[in-house]
Amino acid sequence: MRLTPTSVELLAPVGTWEVLEEAIAAGADAVYLGGKRFNMRMHRTDANFDDEMLAKAIKYAHDRNVLLYITVNNLISDRELDSMRSYLRLLEELQPDALIIQDLAVLELARELNITIPLHASVMMNTHNEHAVRTLQDYGISRVVVNREMTLSQVRLLKERTGIEVEYFIHGDMCVAHGGQCLHSGVLFGQSSNRGRCLKGCRWPYQLVDATGKVLSDRDPGPYKLAVKDMCMYLHLPELIQAGVTSFKIEGRMRTAAFVKRIVQVYRRAIDRYIADPTGYTIDPQDWQDLNEGRSRDFSTCYALGKPGTELIGYSGEREPRFFSQAVKEASMSTSAFVPKALPAPNTMAADTGKELAVRVADRASLTAACQHGANIVYIGGEAFKPAKPWTLAEIAEAIDEAAAYNTRIIVTTPRITTERECGELEQFIAAVDRLKPHGLMVSNIGMLRLARQLSSLPLEADFSLNVFNHLTVRWLQSLGVTKATISLEATQEQITDLLDNSSLPLELIVHGSLEAMVLDHCVPSAVLGSDYGCHTLCQDNQYALLDTAGERHPIKIDQYCRNHLLFAKDLCLLPYLQSLAGISRYRIEGQHYTAPQVGLITAIYRQELDQCASQQEDYHFDQALLDKLAAIGPRELGIGTFRYRVSR
Amino acid sequence: MYHIGILQLTQNLDDAVQGFKSGCAELGLPAEFYYKNADGNLMVLPELAANLADLKVDLIFACSTPATVAAAGLDGSIPIVFTPVFDPIGAGLVTSLEHPGGKLTGVAGMVKADAKVAFIHRLLPAAQNLGVLYHAADSNSLLELKHFRQAADPSFHVEEISIQRPEDLSQLADMLPPDLDALFLPIGKIVEDNFATIVYYADAVSLPIITSHAPNVAAGALGALVANHRQLGHDCAAKAARILNGTAPGDIAISIVKQPEIWLNHFAAQNLGITLSADLLSEATEVFE
Repeated sequence: MRLTPTSVELLAPVGTWEVLEEAIAAGADAVYLGGKRFNMRMHRTDANFDDEMLAKAIKYAHDRNVLLYITVNNLISDRELDSMRSYLRLLEELQPDALIIQDLAVLELARELNITIPLHASVMMNTHNEHAVRTLQDYGISRVVVNREMTLSQVRLLKERTGIEVEYFIHGDMCVAHGGQCLHSGVLFGQSSNRGRCLKGCRWPYQLVDATGKVLSDRDPGPYKLAVKDMCMYLHLPELIQAGVTSFKIEGRMRTAAFVKRIVQVYRRAIDRYIADPTGYTIDPQDWQDLNEGRSRDFSTCYALGKPGTELIGYSGEREPRFFSQAVKEASMSTSAFVPKALPAPNTMAADTGKELAVRVADRASLTAACQHGANIVYIGGEAFKPAKPWTLAEIAEAIDEAAAYNTRIIVTTPRITTERECGELEQFIAAVDRLKPHGLMVSNIGMLRLARQLSSLPLEADFSLNVFNHLTVRWLQSLGVTKATISLEATQEQITDLLDNSSLPLELIVHGSLEAMVLDHCVPSAVLGSDYGCHTLCQDNQYALLDTAGERHPIKIDQYCRNHLLFAKDLCLLPYLQSLAGISRYRIEGQHYTAPQVGLITAIYRQELDQCASQQEDYHFDQALLDKLAAIGPRELGIGTFRYRVSR
Repeated sequence: MYHIGILQLTQNLDDAVQGFKSGCAELGLPAEFYYKNADGNLMVLPELAANLADLKVDLIFACSTPATVAAAGLDGSIPIVFTPVFDPIGAGLVTSLEHPGGKLTGVAGMVKADAKVAFIHRLLPAAQNLGVLYHAADSNSLLELKHFRQAADPSFHVEEISIQRPEDLSQLADMLPPDLDALFLPIGKIVEDNFATIVYYADAVSLPIITSHAPNVAAGALGALVANHRQLGHDCAAKAARILNGTAPGDIAISIVKQPEIWLNHFAAQNLGITLSADLLSEATEVFE
């Protein structure tokens, strides 16, 4: 690869005018910053730029030949769409060099408003496979901030196959969970990390316990088991440049001018020296020392060079600059919840299809139980959580036959995270499943949506991981062949009502079950318990959980790809609110972490209640005894998630 | 040209820094500023203070109590102007507000307890039982608790709720006495930093929170009576100018907050079913929706 001075872009974070000046003076090729419109004046610091300052900042940067990107990377609710429209119109007038976006609705809006500004996919879009990149390219996305779990070799392959520009985090604060897929803060606190309000439950202290709650403390490296160190790629610049990373992104839009200046200067010098003389390049020990001495947390190369294991985590918590929250007991059924009195207008589509009940199951016995107790649809496939095994093609064929006897439909699902290995496997899988003729395929990311369209003629559905928060996202999915979408788990009842009123597709809501707070490539038990145990026996023979300081136990479920899925301590239960959710087309029980008898009993209770809601309508009264019965079934205490909040922020 | 070091605990307090700088500019003080921010990390403050000393600054503007303690710990006689140190005497920085002596002066950030008590009366006229949640190892919290207890008597019944370490907040649901009408948070870093946890539990029992830390209002407290940090910084500039013109810092009296501001959260009020009075709303400097 022949390098030129413009081969690499050094991209700096900017929160204030002072940082803007310093970052540019220090040698940033480009800067990214946010406006005030969607910040709702929540923080009174001078961070972020109002409309007037945005215009000035763009001029200031352009006068100095520096590119300026604006982050518009929050999920937006239906009520915010008009405001987003006017914001996009303003930005079109201001002409920054790109918008960094997350919500799929912005793709719709950009077409509707003829936005000419280049669009970049935020890391929150969780772009981690070539099929997703191709989908985004069709909609004019010219650059992706790839997900943080991608290695440089995966990045190189992605770039070679798609030609997309890649932006990669090279320095700063990182998340432990997959971008755009962490629901912890949103569901628990009603403050969504996908809307810029993360309260960082991943930085709480935890003890690793087994299924019985016994603490596994023999070689415990420290309580902060999810606290990722800061990314630092200074020592590996040549690898980054040769991997074809276009834009070197420094994280930290709330950082000070001095902090940003130092980091930009150090990387600027290194990049320039490497490009001028790659073979003669060595690191500058003084710069490395400065960077290291000025660090806030300890450094890690995170996933850039492969799975970091225990090296990823700062277990002691000593260098954590700040904690945003302490662990809390999750909202239980008795927690006072905000429930609007007015019921949503019945959705005509729902009336047409009746009140469907879907259940996701892990195995054949649970499938049988769901069918016998009134499930209209059963989801199988996707992640298999140990000790369960993935569904074989033969088992899927048998499941379809068995369900047919109960008049139950089978929909096959795909995993949420599908990197290179999974994509290869799924290409073969989707083509094979197509021949088995289930009633549909449910996809979990936009890459799998594209692959499924290419390889299958089955009806396609979109899972909750596509973060459906407004009706334009639904419309976008519909334009790509989706026939049913699942509502985001972070939406409150008011937000669900708005979505139902405007949706062009039937919508599904998860009303019961074990929900995942985070998906991690990092394996918590193997990092904590070490390799002496032998990694495979660690998760084959044992179940683990993280115990927080509020005494809540969050099960860690490990899938066939070794990803960790951290569950909420309480299982969601919206049984008492079914009647007020009348516009929903399909209600789902996430039952893959339940035993077959539990699946059967819970399915039966929901079936009965949905039928009662439909037949009794205004005369319907919820029977509290049912809730006690449901609570007794287990396996965990029941909670109400986001339903305690009026508006999810 | 004067060289002025700025030692900062967190960016949250940057309003004070901006007030200080604009005050210096208005006074025509020819100054170059060297800004050091610990980003919340208390451990690095002494090192940052030493960096400023190495730069041979003429004066340090120390923002927050820990930053002031770090600057005061430097050898030598670099003058220090501080804010919004809550309790300069209790923090061991000076022995008198009138005649601080030594190398420090500044503007204290304390809003008087009787003003806060009166504010709570206006905000929640029917309230009788107040919980006061404080960190028992925080001297600022202890001092404010003492003043508040005196000021509240006998108009409020005060229930004291102490935590020893941040993790104790996880058990707050069990620690809150029944029948509280409101929860008051005295000044104190750990309680303020972990405000999300407190409001989470308070929300569950529909308990309004009155805070002492302005950013907590935006994050879900019902209201606060707080110092205007920009104004405090601005007032510090005048003291800095006097020092640079030759007055000894120890001869300049430490001032206190003169006109605290009302901050309210309308969204929190709605959620709690509380009506904010028209006069409070009109007097408020900030009303969050």
